[in-house]
Amino acid sequence: MNDKFIDDLLDQPIPDADENARKIALNAAMSEFSQGIQEPARPIDNKQSIWSYLMSILNNQNTGKVFATVAVAFVAVSVAFMLPEHNEQLDHSVVLPEPVLVPQEEAQANPPASVIGGNEALDDSSSDDEQESDSKDQLERTILAGETNIARQEAEAKRESFSAAEKPQELKQKKASNDAQVVRDRSITKEYKSAPLKNRAAKPAISPNASKVDQSLNAPIHSGFELLEEVVVSGNRVVEGKLVPEQRLDLNEEYAQHEENTIKLTQEEPVSTFSIDVDTASYSLVRNQIMNGYLPAPAAVRSEEIINYFNYDYPLPGSKKQPFEPSITVLDSPWNVGKKLVHIGIKGYDIEKANVPDSNLVFLLDVSGSMSSQNKLPLVKQSINLLLDTLKPTDTVSIVVYAGAAGTVLEPTKVKDKSKILAALQNLNAGGSTAGAQGIDLAYQLAEQNFAKDAVNRIILATDGDFNVGLQNNEALKTLVERKRDKGVFLSVLGFGRNNYQDDMMQTLAQNGNGVAAYIDSLSEAKKVLVDEATSTLFTIAKDVKIQVEFNAATVSEYRLVGYETRHLNREDFNNDKVDAGDIGAGHTVTAIYEITPVGSKGASVDELRYAENKQEKVLLSDSNEYGFLKIRYKLPDGNKSKLIEQAITKKSGEATKDIRFSIAAAGFAQKLKGGKNTGNISYDDIAKLARDNKGDDPFGYRSEFIQLVSMAKIAKP
Amino acid sequence: MKEDALIKRCQRGDKAAFEQLLGLHYDTIYRFAYRWCGDQHNAQDITQQACMKLARSLMQFEFKSSFTSWLYRLVTNCAKDFYKSPNQFNSREEGVDEYQQNNDDRNDQRLYAQQILEHINTLQEDLKDALILVYGSGLSHGQAAERLNIKESTVSWRVHEARKLLKQTFSTSGFHYDGIDVARGSA
Repeated sequence: MNDKFIDDLLDQPIPDADENARKIALNAAMSEFSQGIQEPARPIDNKQSIWSYLMSILNNQNTGKVFATVAVAFVAVSVAFMLPEHNEQLDHSVVLPEPVLVPQEEAQANPPASVIGGNEALDDSSSDDEQESDSKDQLERTILAGETNIARQEAEAKRESFSAAEKPQELKQKKASNDAQVVRDRSITKEYKSAPLKNRAAKPAISPNASKVDQSLNAPIHSGFELLEEVVVSGNRVVEGKLVPEQRLDLNEEYAQHEENTIKLTQEEPVSTFSIDVDTASYSLVRNQIMNGYLPAPAAVRSEEIINYFNYDYPLPGSKKQPFEPSITVLDSPWNVGKKLVHIGIKGYDIEKANVPDSNLVFLLDVSGSMSSQNKLPLVKQSINLLLDTLKPTDTVSIVVYAGAAGTVLEPTKVKDKSKILAALQNLNAGGSTAGAQGIDLAYQLAEQNFAKDAVNRIILATDGDFNVGLQNNEALKTLVERKRDKGVFLSVLGFGRNNYQDDMMQTLAQNGNGVAAYIDSLSEAKKVLVDEATSTLFTIAKDVKIQVEFNAATVSEYRLVGYETRHLNREDFNNDKVDAGDIGAGHTVTAIYEITPVGSKGASVDELRYAENKQEKVLLSDSNEYGFLKIRYKLPDGNKSKLIEQAITKKSGEATKDIRFSIAAAGFAQKLKGGKNTGNISYDDIAKLARDNKGDDPFGYRSEFIQLVSMAKIAKP
Repeated sequence: MKEDALIKRCQRGDKAAFEQLLGLHYDTIYRFAYRWCGDQHNAQDITQQACMKLARSLMQFEFKSSFTSWLYRLVTNCAKDFYKSPNQFNSREEGVDEYQQNNDDRNDQRLYAQQILEHINTLQEDLKDALILVYGSGLSHGQAAERLNIKESTVSWRVHEARKLLKQTFSTSGFHYDGIDVARGSA
């Protein structure tokens, strides 16, 4: 009988795999592969400069050759020390380029807490609860300890995820290869890496459960490969005359194409109208791309999102009746001699802790197979974990997942039952194809079932952008989201992962759902969006905010709006309350910058007409002190009728603070990335200098990161 | 050997090479997975996990065994993880009740099948290679012989031996079975 069973088992006919499944699997694996190979760790503190330093060396052809030689020498030295009898010396005595040693030294100085935790779990054969609190501790530490600690935890987590992935057999294999006389060039890095793992022997004994908790909660943002490997890989590639990485990550991504705003003649078109935009997704995407050594596609750069990524200290409104107040500053343009910038800053009031309304949040999580990379679902879980800490005990959280089919994994649950929420999160696994539309339906059902009039009712969609079943076209989804928005359920989008990211779809959904679209590529970005800016992300203080500026033809001959290309509105839309526009969250800052040419300035881009009628007639208000007039329309979150704010733009408006200058550096950078058509001869160095001189306090390090990014853009490949 | 060169290129970070390697082995991985779970849908999911794991761990392949049998171990590990995961979302599609009912005896069979398939990992290397190529990759004895660079009759003998060993190993268990379509349990 058993014989027959085995025969049947082995001879059983096998139907072909589904073509679509094949495609998805191959894509997912390719993306995993390129991330492992290419993704440089994203250090948050000044370790970053090491990477850019390396990149700058690689970029310079002459030193490139020198570096190649050094790299070869380094490999040779490593080989020598890999031989078994030198293994112990490895920790102390190898003289290597400094950058390479950093992660190891650090790892030794700070033994990963999770390893210890794992061992304890084993020794005490402790319960799941203890493991859970253990991992929660880690998370709390992550939050408390701030950015640098996160960077370190990332490094630790990567070590951990590497070692946790080791199977006992593989360990044996590895040990065997320690004794091997011939050391193949690829195994060098691996041996080197594993050498300092003193407690390796204890690893295989960790229960699968323990390692699972560690893996998923311990920030394994980058896949198994480590910094060390990358350094060696880049060495290899210099020898081959190439620069890392080999392929762009954005090849399969979709960006809506929009022409960059052009210079407008005030006489022909005196009025400029647009909707505000507080999204930040473009900045994270651009950062991710540049960190990989490539300049982003111009269409991926939305200047206003680059500018609005940073929080600026604009004046708050005097009274709470008005949710925000614009502040206008006029200053010389750093990009073009003779032109000026009109800088409009808006800061929404922040909600005090005591007055924060209840939240009814439904997380709609994509758990399709493509989400299983380390920088997707595991990061989603961590992000939600972070967000939970900022919620009130009375807030409600539900979780809906979608993949092969949509399902509710957590019925509406109060945040005070946090362990229940965490347990539901813990059990999520990626697999199957994507049925986004069903998922959205189900999420709206839950949100409506638990709808509270005075609460924030919001769906937070976390996905890498695949909706391949059902409501496939953007239009149908858009309509659904709009309809639900009018009923009071808003939608925000958190994007994860690269290679497949449907940027235009995410934009459409969030814009129509009165929500924010953010792209999350790391735990620190998750922290920025969901913890530091939680109130802005969750609580809308003004909706359908539209800006209209009328320029004075007597004083301004030309103007150009920086960014907001995707937010353009028709002149008549401004007063039409039926036309949807962007929203401002509590504490959000929004910046709009116009570059103008004062009448008579030599900086004019367009020649005056030779055959114009009597030039005197142009002077409509000859002694006017005004460049233009600013009008802002907005609605209160629960209102349907818009309110109007008006303010003149005088020639001497405001004072150029550091924050304003920094926002101009960000604007310059964005425009430069879009091709630099309108930024004259300004260089990345100029931009970096402007940013550095006006960095200010920078409590979270975002601005330092920006400055690093600018220097990396200088050497990134087009 | 050509495949070794291809793998080495992958290990140096060559994307094109990895794409080629994946293309060559997707079906093999899928067949391994299908034997394991006996149903197309789960097999596809396991295959996807395995492909991604391959991307992560190809660097660790050290040419000590044949690539196919290394791959087999990788897939069986992925498959085990797949069934270990507590709230395995894919099984929802069938509807919980129906799934439960049909599955008690089916589960027994599947577990048994998986034990056997996992046991293949412990077979002697040459027997294992032959068995995997023929029953996993779906090659004929002739093709397998070409791949392993041995005579066709040797392949046949090794496959026979491997089957015999499997049967011996499992003959003592008190498992009752007299149907076809092993893992699925529905004739």
